[in-house]
Amino acid sequence: MVHRLKFAHVAVASALALSAVAAGAQEISGAATTTAKPMSNALVPITGAMLSGADGDAKNWIHSNGNYSNTRYYPGAQINTGNVAKMKPAFVFQTAVLESMETSPIVINGVMFLTTSFNHVYAIDAVTGEEFWHYKHKMGPITTFCCGPNNRGVAVEGGTLFMGTLDAKLVALDAKTGKLLWETQIADPDKGYSETMAPVVVDGKVLIGTNGGEYGIRGFVKAFDAKDGKLLWTFYTIPEKSEGVWAKNDLTGRDMHRDIDAEKAAYAKDSSFFQTLGGGVWMAPAVDLKTKTVFFVVGNPSPDLYGAIRPGDNLYTDSMVAVDLDKGTYKWHSQYIAHDVWDLDAVSPVILTQAKDASGKMVDVAIHGGKTGHVYVHARDTGKLIRFSEAMVPQENMWVLPTKTGARMLPGANGGVEWSPMAINPKLRMAYAANLHQPMTYHVEEAAYPGGKLWLGGAFKTIPGEEQSGRLVAVNLDSGKVAWTVKTPQPLIGGVLATSGDLVFNGEANGWFKAFDARNGKELWKYYCGAGVNAPAVSYMVNGKQYVAVAAGGNNQIDAKRGNSVFVFAMP
Amino acid sequence: MSMRSFVVFAALALVAGRAAAQTPPAPDAALQAKLQLCAACHGPTGNSTDPQYPILAGQTARYIYLELKDYKEGRRHDPSMDPIAATLSPADMLALGDFFSKQKQAPNGFKADGAKVAAGAKKSDEVLCPMCHLGGFVGQNEIPRVAGQHYAYVKKQLTDFKARRRTNDAGNMTSVANTLSDDDIENLAHYTANLN
Repeated sequence: MVHRLKFAHVAVASALALSAVAAGAQEISGAATTTAKPMSNALVPITGAMLSGADGDAKNWIHSNGNYSNTRYYPGAQINTGNVAKMKPAFVFQTAVLESMETSPIVINGVMFLTTSFNHVYAIDAVTGEEFWHYKHKMGPITTFCCGPNNRGVAVEGGTLFMGTLDAKLVALDAKTGKLLWETQIADPDKGYSETMAPVVVDGKVLIGTNGGEYGIRGFVKAFDAKDGKLLWTFYTIPEKSEGVWAKNDLTGRDMHRDIDAEKAAYAKDSSFFQTLGGGVWMAPAVDLKTKTVFFVVGNPSPDLYGAIRPGDNLYTDSMVAVDLDKGTYKWHSQYIAHDVWDLDAVSPVILTQAKDASGKMVDVAIHGGKTGHVYVHARDTGKLIRFSEAMVPQENMWVLPTKTGARMLPGANGGVEWSPMAINPKLRMAYAANLHQPMTYHVEEAAYPGGKLWLGGAFKTIPGEEQSGRLVAVNLDSGKVAWTVKTPQPLIGGVLATSGDLVFNGEANGWFKAFDARNGKELWKYYCGAGVNAPAVSYMVNGKQYVAVAAGGNNQIDAKRGNSVFVFAMP
Repeated sequence: MSMRSFVVFAALALVAGRAAAQTPPAPDAALQAKLQLCAACHGPTGNSTDPQYPILAGQTARYIYLELKDYKEGRRHDPSMDPIAATLSPADMLALGDFFSKQKQAPNGFKADGAKVAAGAKKSDEVLCPMCHLGGFVGQNEIPRVAGQHYAYVKKQLTDFKARRRTNDAGNMTSVANTLSDDDIENLAHYTANLN
């Protein structure tokens, strides 16, 4: 998963235990800041046809990642490479919560729904920023989460919004009023389960995974009935038999230096650890309606660095997995790193698109940007790896094993590509990825399961004097070659938006929000938001005018300056 | 190897201290009965006078809850606490954590040695204790407040972490304590006992 790192520190931190802050969160003073404006009559129920056709809908943004394929490719081109230089702020909406913002706003006919840390939801006018309503989740007494009280947005179907909460609930809200319709407990927060991801809703099913890879959970993806929150199916990301094929190499063919004989002997003695083996799924899955398949990537095993206690490949951690949409049954998996002891898990959401296979034929693929620094391209029907990209960040010493005193390896445990969603431009055949470069040493320490407390089995530390930075990288889908790279002064967390105007939008921890030419990475526009822009941007159109919206709330994980606002831009 | 290289950091909450100050509510009858069990060693408001028992007044609620749970579930052991924790429900543990966190911490009466306090403060900065325990050891969430804690109790905990007699924090403090000498532990216990 993820680890908060302070740039200023020489040796730094891993591990976080931001827990039980919920009580404080509920006491945010003056939360009811504005007089509500009556809800717009333009708000319409979202039909299945709208959800499945979202990739061609330039008016609305109704999935956290744009569409069921998670492409984050906006089909409108009113704002484009030729005119973006003139783009100006239209309004700034200030929430009452000054803490990390990772939200992808949803926009329906000029009504925007956005979330903040601690599970507040706002409905606002997407043209003026005036507030319609404000919902504050009543947090339970126990919350357990490692890396900030974040939320990445709502899902919508019909007239209902769906949000996962820090106390591991799924709540359904009336989109018109913000009233709670139902809530259901997804898992036990006392055991380390929590929710920060935006759910995905499809055919009356709300799909959601879980955080908790740092707490010894047993990960899953669950489907709930959108009508009443009843559980429909559960796919455990950790099967009871988790040993796998005893892979010597990672998916790219590099030796992981495992002692397979020792692991086999340990596994034969005790394989009951699947109950606490981790494997969170904490970003929105992709859905292929044609084949009724759900695609997602699975996070790291628990404990992160101490592998002796969990012999075997630790299926399906650090893997892309495909399951049946109706039943939640297994279709295939492809594991990037078997028996991970570096926390280089798979997080950034799967994107469904097309790419050339080895013979040059255009085929359906599922792609993932890894914390390893590669973009992986898989055949969508079998999971077979077609190619992996050139490394987007420096790689060194892979795969040196963690030691008591610390072993240096690049990438550091934050990535490559962290949770930040990538975007693609299918015309240009490119994927765009926001990367981190944070040199680290990996330290191991023996550690028994601590009962729902942070469980790393060691530490990650940044290295004094070694420069950290970010890389916005364009990768060619058909060749795996890096087309262009923009280096940024700080590691990138937040995610990317691409548009049919051949623009790429990306935010930085230092407060800049920028637009680039998707063809060559040339910077075309920038605006200073005054707090870290560590959320993915979205775009939409109201009354024939295109807008670009992004949250600037800073970030807990990389300690970017906090803010509380969503910035919305348009042509003057 | 440097001291620093051993340090395991945890936990940095950004929202610590946001909760508004509150007047402690009067405990209800059920909680009152449980508090009787605590009072014998920890005092009625969690201000123990015997330094082998930790001061609970002002401790973080989350830490008290998790330690009680660890006693009950066998991850932490103490001859007095094991049987008491066995009788507590999760709701009791939450209520007790909440109660003690809202009590005012009293001075511990320890006469600290000035030179040891200074050496402890220096060591604390070196091993980056404040990264998790925050400046002045005020604690946050699952990371305990150590400011003003009894000297004898702190010394015993650090020694136990180092010897792996106490491991319920998943080894983080063992990693830290590994680099501490007996003198370091002595100095740190003076330093924290003197903070209030």
